[in-house]
Amino acid sequence: MLAGLLTAIAAAVAAWAGVGATAAAYVWASPIGAQLAIGADRSSAAFLMLTGVSFAAGAAASGAVRSPRAYFALWSLLQAAVSGVFVARDLVLFLACWDAILAPLALLMWHWGGTDRRAATRRLVWYWMAASVPLLTAIVALGVGARTFSFADLSGYRLAEGSQVILAVLFLAAFAARLPLFPFHAWLPRAYVAAPLPVVLVLSSVISKTAAYAIVRICLPFFPRGMADVAPYAIGLATVGTLYGALLATRQRDTRLLIAYASVSQLSFIALGAFVATPDAVQGVLVASISHGLVVAALVLLAGTLARRAGSFSFGAAGLGSRAPVLTSLVLIAMLAAIGVPGTSGAPGELLILAAAFARAPGIGALAVLVIVLSAGYCLALLRSVLSGPGDVRHADIGWRDRALVIPLLALVVAIGVAPRAIGDLAEPAGEQPGSAR
Amino acid sequence: MTEAELQAAAPALILASSGVLLAAAALPGRVRLGALAWLGVAFALSAAAAAIAVGTGEAAFGGSLARDGGSVFFSALIAIVAAAELTLIAADRRHARHAAGGEVGLVLLSAAGAALMVAAADLGLLFAAMALLAVPLAVLTGRGRSGARYALLSAAIAAVTVYGVALLYSATGETGYAALGRATRNPLYLGGLALVLAGLAFHAGLAPFSAWSPATHERSSPAVSVHLAVVARIAAFGALLRLAGATRSGEAPVDWEASLAVLAAITLALGALSAIGERRVKRVFGYLSLAQAGAVAIAAAGQAPSAVAFYVTIDAALTVGAFAFVASLRSDEPTVSDLAGLARRRPLLVAGFGVVLSGLFGFPPTAGFLAKLYVFEAAARAQLLWLVVLGAIATVVTAVACVRLLLACFAPPRSDMVAPARARVATALVLAAAVITIVLGVAPGPLLEAAQAVRF
Repeated sequence: MLAGLLTAIAAAVAAWAGVGATAAAYVWASPIGAQLAIGADRSSAAFLMLTGVSFAAGAAASGAVRSPRAYFALWSLLQAAVSGVFVARDLVLFLACWDAILAPLALLMWHWGGTDRRAATRRLVWYWMAASVPLLTAIVALGVGARTFSFADLSGYRLAEGSQVILAVLFLAAFAARLPLFPFHAWLPRAYVAAPLPVVLVLSSVISKTAAYAIVRICLPFFPRGMADVAPYAIGLATVGTLYGALLATRQRDTRLLIAYASVSQLSFIALGAFVATPDAVQGVLVASISHGLVVAALVLLAGTLARRAGSFSFGAAGLGSRAPVLTSLVLIAMLAAIGVPGTSGAPGELLILAAAFARAPGIGALAVLVIVLSAGYCLALLRSVLSGPGDVRHADIGWRDRALVIPLLALVVAIGVAPRAIGDLAEPAGEQPGSAR
Repeated sequence: MTEAELQAAAPALILASSGVLLAAAALPGRVRLGALAWLGVAFALSAAAAAIAVGTGEAAFGGSLARDGGSVFFSALIAIVAAAELTLIAADRRHARHAAGGEVGLVLLSAAGAALMVAAADLGLLFAAMALLAVPLAVLTGRGRSGARYALLSAAIAAVTVYGVALLYSATGETGYAALGRATRNPLYLGGLALVLAGLAFHAGLAPFSAWSPATHERSSPAVSVHLAVVARIAAFGALLRLAGATRSGEAPVDWEASLAVLAAITLALGALSAIGERRVKRVFGYLSLAQAGAVAIAAAGQAPSAVAFYVTIDAALTVGAFAFVASLRSDEPTVSDLAGLARRRPLLVAGFGVVLSGLFGFPPTAGFLAKLYVFEAAARAQLLWLVVLGAIATVVTAVACVRLLLACFAPPRSDMVAPARARVATALVLAAAVITIVLGVAPGPLLEAAQAVRF
């Protein structure tokens, strides 16, 4: 466990150090046109830090797993693949890392998951593999058409509008299945219930963000006109998805399912920002992604703590309000951040995306505001289940180990809420010309 | 024989003479099979070394035996794969019991035919080389109904090929490939080419000329399966690319793209779909090797000899690994359920097998990923985007079959199962294939560069 933790922390530190570092490219397979081009500009670095933080938290939370050596070997592979997606500056390398995420993730779920793990893993694997078909096709077509796979060269390459639309649709189909966007989300609830909790943490916190990142990094700069043509439909899907997820979340009586549907809602909301695609919206996507990553990591950890006290993940009158004040207040802060109350990291990203959505189409903006109301609804339902009811002496307050994990995450959440420019500044160069990484 | 002729024929000569020698040595009967097979490995590796050392140069025998990048690369690869097959024979205890010493010589003779096929630039020589490839194979696939079927079909396809050769001869008046460029477009010429293509497609394992493949794979020993799936395929695609290169230019250029693309599509779909539901492990690999043949045909349709060379090399390593895994099992005809419990008892073998399987469906970071990508890129360059889509779907479908096999190894063992056999050499081959797959996936530079030299 220590090794996993250390790698994760080292990766986070390296990401700090690597901000603005010059990108490097090595010859990998030149006749194919693939380079080992990597680079970490500021938005990549923000995602890399999120990766480091989440994987460190997840490693620390997976204390007593069976066969820890295999577990942490896969864990590190998973982290390497995810980080690879964020630093890849070449489509072939990107595709390799993107696909490579699947193997360790599926194995972690398959071997360490809960009761429904086999079926859940199978479903996740087929969804993701099916999604890799359009991605592979589009990358090959784009690479052959443009005679390059490198991001730096592609950003200067302008395709005809017709091919832009086709490529945008193919890329988006692949990214939508992983995000997941509304009609492609069927793998998600089962995976959240069946996967081990640390895996749910990184799946929701970071791995879903690879798709948001990919939309901003690949689709927007390389096919601007194609994306503009696709945007109305995509925005429609994202709006439906965010409402649908929020509505379903209000009906859940299981914390993991609630987090699952809330994530569908929030991730669709982030995708909405990416499809609106104004510079403000793109910056909102970045801030909201980081924020959701941190908040959901804290929420998953807290859900685990709550479940250990109640014996299951389903809602019950735990009566923690008087018995466990620290735990309750931590849940409260995480909830406020999930709703997007100003002062937490949830607010700035949400506001940026909302403003951009209103500017694009007031109707969409109005619907998106409705999501915030709904999110308050499901968060309060969870809070009520935690707070109310007769207290039970068995329920001790949150332990030191969990405190040490959750409090730093929430401190980051509040810090970003108070000073959102910390990430905003990071995002600015990328927001203006996302493809210009050198 | 002049020096140039000797150099051009060197790999095939070494393989053929060592084959005759070892077959003769096996005649007295009381010879140890292991010693023979290891001797054969040494001969095969020296043939590969000779092919590489001699390098490219002038064509010999009046232009009928080429010595260009293509023939050097492919004949070296054929000799190396033959060495791997002989290692498998040496490792196979079941065969050691009935001391089929002739197998070693036959494999080498057949490999000699394959090495001649990739270098042949003359229709007569091509036919002779095909016969040299196929006749020992018909003996090797041997016993039972499936062996008879292979022998019969092989004889029939030889007849078809020789008919095609005759038609081409009557159309051009010569047997050399150089004359094909001067041919005019007439029905005899096109019909002859189609018949020869059918013969080559048979050995390449392209559907619908691959009806022999699943049953033959099921009944053959792993070494012979590798020979059918790899050596024969390399030889057929080498010959095909050379023939296509000769007829693509000239007065009556022939476009091979459409016919190869259709063959590739049928083969891919058939192989990938049949592999899913199959319960017998050897047949699964037979079907997977069909799908691999389809992928090679995509590259051939895209007129990319380098992509073909890269893909068949990776495929050779993967197929050797897959059939070495079969050789390491106790059962002669294993089913998927026989794999249960293997992960606990032979973790190293299953780890290597996992890498080989990921390579077979092109999962990063194995070389299978790059190979698939290279092939798809070639197809996209040739405006065959529909083949890319089909290939990508086939990749996912083969992944289903591969993952199923791998998961079967992790199933809890049945109570009545005997412990798996110790098969050190076969396990070592699986692991070697796994290492090669990963190393070539991470650092494919040297192999890709060598593949760039492949021209016809």
